[in-house]
Amino acid sequence: MLEIGVQTKEAVSDENPQAGFEMLREAGFACVDFSLNGYLLNTDIYENRLNRFFDASIAELESFFAPHKAGAQKAGIRIHQMHMPYPIYVPSGTREVNEYLWQKMAPKSMELCAYLGCHYIVIHGFKLARELGREDLEWAQTEKFIHYLAPMAKEMGITLCVENLYTSLGGHMVEGPCCNARKAAERIERINEQYGAEVLGFCFDTGHANLVGLDMEEFITTLGPGLKVLHIHDNDGITDLHQVPYTFARTRENTSSTDWAGFLRGLRNIKYRGVLNFETAPVLTAFPREMHLETLKFIARIGAYWSKEIVQ
Amino acid sequence: MEILCAPAGLSAWEYPGQGVLDIAGSAFEQAMLDIALLFPVKEFRRNGAEENWLAGRWQAAETFLSKFQQKKLGLPLAYAPHFGYRAADWPSLAVYQDFAERSLRFCQVAGSRYLVLRPFMAEMPTDKLIEVNREFYQGLIPLAREAQVVILLENQARSINGHLVRGRFTSAEETVDFIDGLNAFAGEERFGFCLHMGASGACGLNVYDLLHALSGRLKAVILCDSDATGDRELLPFTGASKGACETDWLNLIRSLREISFDGLLVLDMRDTAAAFPPLLRPKLMEMAQAVLQYILWQIEMEKTVASYPKRVLFGAGRMCRNYMSNYGKEYPPLFTCDNNSRLWGSSVAGLVVHDPKDLLSLPPDCAIFICNIYYREIEAQLRDMGVKNPIEFFNDECLSSLYAGTLLGEGA
Repeated sequence: MLEIGVQTKEAVSDENPQAGFEMLREAGFACVDFSLNGYLLNTDIYENRLNRFFDASIAELESFFAPHKAGAQKAGIRIHQMHMPYPIYVPSGTREVNEYLWQKMAPKSMELCAYLGCHYIVIHGFKLARELGREDLEWAQTEKFIHYLAPMAKEMGITLCVENLYTSLGGHMVEGPCCNARKAAERIERINEQYGAEVLGFCFDTGHANLVGLDMEEFITTLGPGLKVLHIHDNDGITDLHQVPYTFARTRENTSSTDWAGFLRGLRNIKYRGVLNFETAPVLTAFPREMHLETLKFIARIGAYWSKEIVQ
Repeated sequence: MEILCAPAGLSAWEYPGQGVLDIAGSAFEQAMLDIALLFPVKEFRRNGAEENWLAGRWQAAETFLSKFQQKKLGLPLAYAPHFGYRAADWPSLAVYQDFAERSLRFCQVAGSRYLVLRPFMAEMPTDKLIEVNREFYQGLIPLAREAQVVILLENQARSINGHLVRGRFTSAEETVDFIDGLNAFAGEERFGFCLHMGASGACGLNVYDLLHALSGRLKAVILCDSDATGDRELLPFTGASKGACETDWLNLIRSLREISFDGLLVLDMRDTAAAFPPLLRPKLMEMAQAVLQYILWQIEMEKTVASYPKRVLFGAGRMCRNYMSNYGKEYPPLFTCDNNSRLWGSSVAGLVVHDPKDLLSLPPDCAIFICNIYYREIEAQLRDMGVKNPIEFFNDECLSSLYAGTLLGEGA
């Protein structure tokens, strides 16, 4: 049986984190994806608005998150992965913003990851391919960021995980960073060899894959052991909606328009034994608060069903 | 480069005449022989097993061909029948093989030197499907050789219950290996590639890596706008939302420019053409021709710059700097000029800024590249001044590098 996880956003509050973790435990989750990105929003970063959350010292930040850590422990929930705030670089951003992201937000996120006993932190690569002209030039910038954090990651026993992203042209989502599995696998292997540790891994995001039409089975199979964590969620293939799997259809037959069968085949092919982590916070925004527990139970049931399908 | 128009949306198989007339009536001299138009997937599913139906459609294909020939439209490229993006819609391999062979013979009759032939689709493991296709294409080599036709593979999408995702020949490594393997087997270049923007756009594919890997193997590009909703083929630049075009023209144009593409550019605007009232189609064709010429101009930008032994620029702003950063070393201008007299004598990106009057003393083989979006106004100004040299428009929207800022990281 694989462990089932879900993101903390919308489920765990700063006021009473333990209650949120207990609800997740009751729903059937063993792990969480700690939404650190909720403390410095991407929408604010893109508009050069920094809330200075990461100006606090490490001691202050640890103190802020101490109830979260204790709450998770008491509820029997393991903080398996977390999401670093993103983006890590804004091409049109001010120097102040970009330096803040690099010099304050990123290293402090690593410190908090270690403090919470979490071993995987998901980062977004630079989105610069259109400007620089080539994906490999874009990756070179992301790799600088990885090398900047890698010594810290090695020392702390943390794996930085890059995820497949999209970018938009008008209202159309097209491939963004890390949408080539073969390149990703080679890069992960090379960088880990360089550091003699698993400092880099991959986070496969099913929703982003669906938006840009990646072949999930091939992608996951090609990644192989480089795949460390998952962001599981569904959408209509047009907008990044982060909904419950099997939600969307495109034809009157009403069969799922997301390739969940291919996703499971891929995980079976590589004998994935990590956490089935759902990145479905918007589901909780959509459902009334009174239904949150039942909604979370349903998501966890999907995870349990998949677990059997993968391990069979 | 050759430009073609695809008849889908303009011509119906029953009454092909008017659509062919519309193509011939515009500035297109060549068209794509779209045999697939004769065998729509839905109709094939209903009638495909009936010999009479099939014979009737092949007969109609000959009529279709004769309409093109009557109008003296060249048909360098044909497109073989296929059965869409859903494996369940495809017939057996034997039936598809028959379509492929008949299409090759049809190309021979039509004088088409290329045939786009999609890979066979079926519900089977990927490895097995690739092997089945390898044997399928290999089996066609003798006939393709006899017909003097190069078979073009094409990037595919596949349908997940109505949602298109990437299918075969969307990754650079797989596609190049497959084509090279077939050509090695054939002992000659009997296989090439056709990029279909309708299939790549719907799947959000950035074609840059694929096209660079394919390079000379790329023989044709089918141009259209598409979006994430599925199999849609629109006149380029009309598929827009939120104030922007939804197709990645930047990466297509910059990669075709970088690989010096010199094959067939095919305009396919099936859905736009079908949606336009028939009375407006001649006007649509004029617009379509202009759009295609614009894309051609963008692709051939570097070729145009290189075609002159000497060049000067007009404009001392961002476009001038972008020219210098992308082409300045390889194609250095003599100088630039600007209407702003305060800039005369100063230097921009290593170029001295001159008074436009200095253009009157240029050697005759020197072209003036206008690096300013007020192209037509500046061109008129120069002609009014009595400048006789060739005047070209430079554009920096699709350059290899668009980044003018400084990247963070080094100092962090």
